[in-house]
Amino acid sequence: MSLHTLITKIASHFVWRTPERSAKKFFEFALAEQGSMLDLIAAARLTESEKRRALYVKHMLDEKRHALMFSLRSAELCSQAGRKSYGNLHADIENLFQTLGEARFLAFVHIGERRACQQFVVYRNLFKKQGNKTNKSLFEAILKDEQRHADYTWGLLVEITGGEQAARRELRSVQMWEAWRKWRRVGRSLANKLFVILSLFIYFLLAPYAVLTRLFKRQRKGWSVPALEQEIDRSGSEQQAKRVQTLENLSNSLVILNNS
Amino acid sequence: MSCVLGISAGYHDAAAALIIDGQLIAAMQEERFTRIKNDSSIPSRAVFACLAQAGLSAAAIDRVVFYENPFAKLERVLLSLVRSFPQSWKQFPTAISSQIGSKIWILDQISSTLNIPRNRIFTTTHHRSHAASTFFPSPFDEAAILTVDGIGEEVSTGMWLGKNGSINCIKSIQYPHSLGLLYAALTAYLGFEVNEGEYKVMGLAAYGTPHFKEEFASLISLSPDGSFELSLPYFAFHTKTDIGFSAKMEKLLGPRRDPGKHWDFENSPHDRKYADIAATLQWYTEEVLLGLARNIRQLTGSVNLCLAGGVALNCVANARLLKESGFSRIFVQPAAGDAGGALGAAILASIDLDGKYPSPLNTCALGENISNDAALKLVQNLGINHTKPDDIFSSTADLIADNKVVAFASGRFEWGPRALGQRSILAAPQDKATRERLNKVIKKREPFRPFAPAVLSHRAGEWFEGQDCDMSPFMTSVANVRPENAKDLGACTHIDGTARVQTVTELSSPGLFNVLHALDKKTGIPMVVNTSLNGNGEPIVGSALDAISFFVSHSVDAMVVGDILLKRNTL
Repeated sequence: MSLHTLITKIASHFVWRTPERSAKKFFEFALAEQGSMLDLIAAARLTESEKRRALYVKHMLDEKRHALMFSLRSAELCSQAGRKSYGNLHADIENLFQTLGEARFLAFVHIGERRACQQFVVYRNLFKKQGNKTNKSLFEAILKDEQRHADYTWGLLVEITGGEQAARRELRSVQMWEAWRKWRRVGRSLANKLFVILSLFIYFLLAPYAVLTRLFKRQRKGWSVPALEQEIDRSGSEQQAKRVQTLENLSNSLVILNNS
Repeated sequence: MSCVLGISAGYHDAAAALIIDGQLIAAMQEERFTRIKNDSSIPSRAVFACLAQAGLSAAAIDRVVFYENPFAKLERVLLSLVRSFPQSWKQFPTAISSQIGSKIWILDQISSTLNIPRNRIFTTTHHRSHAASTFFPSPFDEAAILTVDGIGEEVSTGMWLGKNGSINCIKSIQYPHSLGLLYAALTAYLGFEVNEGEYKVMGLAAYGTPHFKEEFASLISLSPDGSFELSLPYFAFHTKTDIGFSAKMEKLLGPRRDPGKHWDFENSPHDRKYADIAATLQWYTEEVLLGLARNIRQLTGSVNLCLAGGVALNCVANARLLKESGFSRIFVQPAAGDAGGALGAAILASIDLDGKYPSPLNTCALGENISNDAALKLVQNLGINHTKPDDIFSSTADLIADNKVVAFASGRFEWGPRALGQRSILAAPQDKATRERLNKVIKKREPFRPFAPAVLSHRAGEWFEGQDCDMSPFMTSVANVRPENAKDLGACTHIDGTARVQTVTELSSPGLFNVLHALDKKTGIPMVVNTSLNGNGEPIVGSALDAISFFVSHSVDAMVVGDILLKRNTL
């Protein structure tokens, strides 16, 4: 058993403890599937191989379906728990294909699919044990696709890199890149927290300005003309006048030339 | 040769527009490429696609103009946050991080993305971009201009005069008094997503009656000079940025509607109440716009009106303006929202650079073309059955006449949020069941959402009253359906007896024109239901790849991609 599977197994009891938590987890899965879908669209658009383009399109359509399945299940559980659903999916795009290049992109996708397979096997078994047929069948259905995705991406990776050894090298390189990305994400998250504290400190220093602003920079009601627009209009009129003057000068010169 | 690029980005609907020697060459939204609806990121893909359309590289660009002034915007955000101290403490870190962390650097980001010197990048103002985007491509030499949206730098509503080849600001209303923000707050209250669900509210309004005028009088007050004022305690633009309304609004109108809940007007009195609130909002929007239009008509004496800004996409209000404001002609360009800012910015810079003006806009097919070759290779590799009919348009008309639903991707994709026959789903307009099928099965959207008819321009009068206006080629207005011929429009007459009609000419949409012409020969009715070619929550299809993916994952009967016809096996 891999370390990842072990951690998933231990954490799964906490992750799926209540309908609220389950709804959140399903929504997170939906977001991940949608993000993957967007990356695959970019890959299908940018790859130079027609064969791979078609494979990416097929894969993208699977991810789209998975995102829908997960988000519907999330909404269903939200409704059971009597809470509002998480709303529409808005996944971020990382431009992975452009950042990594096709071979490393494939390695990245392959690793992700393999990891998802391991995770979903654990969840399927858990729900089977619990007698939760809906969740079990959901993971079972998606698991089949994930397995297929892991297989075809490996095949393509071997084909592109020219052999299994080179493909494994790409996998290791992507794993290093992922670790570096995780490290940077942790750093960014810490920096964000620090930024919030510092900016709140600045915010409370601004308290006297709040009083001044309310007194001297009141919100305008009704009609006015903003200074910015007045300025542009003035300079625009000057320019227009200059242009007219230039044209007039030009036509005068032409008249003089003609006459002469 | 002068080459100018306009860009809008940072908030929603990022877009690029390219003008060469005063003529509009291409205009595209970034969402069509990234497939993220209303994508706000720097529109690099749209920029390069615009340049590719002209066969140029970024080095050929003389000037890039960003559609608003990021520094003036920062000033307004800071002032508003400080003004609402201490309630704005939660928003302060996020707003400052977004402004200082990225938005004020946007000009440098554009410079590095396009690899062009920073000194070639300029800015204009948000509402000036809007004003230019509608006046210069309009058919008028002189016009009054109204720009109405959520918020620009500090302006929410602007009155302008377009005359002698320039536009000048007459007066404006400033944030937070904003019709766009009122509409957005109520959109969130009704359970829709802000910047996305506004047109759903417009569709919903027809199912209600404006019973909440008294309550709305507490939210907004109108002045005889056309200005208006929001009652700020009901709003929370700086404390609840995702919804924009406060608890006081829920006390006034009752609890907000849960997002994503199924609509049921027959059995749910709550849903009927929400429809009434939408109807009241629509009524107030129209009254505010009428007040503004009558005021600017008096001030300028002009008989022509140009509208821009997100609120100008309210086609029901536009139709009422044409009827009641005293203007003889009204023009609204198809991308009236923030995407249109890119077009306005590019036009302003082009005029400034060489004094050349664009021709009036007669088509919105300004996007990327469908590649027949790419489509063919993809369908072959996906193993999809396909044919190449001799006359693809006649074959499309055959299918529509046979009551089939056809996805239609032909020519360059549209500029703006409306599908106008380049990336559309087409069907016969007669049968009401078609509407159910489109809403429930194909587009999977709310049951109250209407569908629009597209009709040959010279025949439109047979089915519609007052359809002959400058807005109908771009579907930015509605017309009343003639009762005597309403039977022909079962699938696209809204509950209030109107339809958002698109009039089609050979110039505006050549592919759709040919389909309608062929349909006329077969059935005598040159009209189709025309709805956008996209799935629920997705941007409209752009490339052949998007179109074919749509065909595989949605249950339309057939698809036209360029010169290829794909049919379901059951056909």
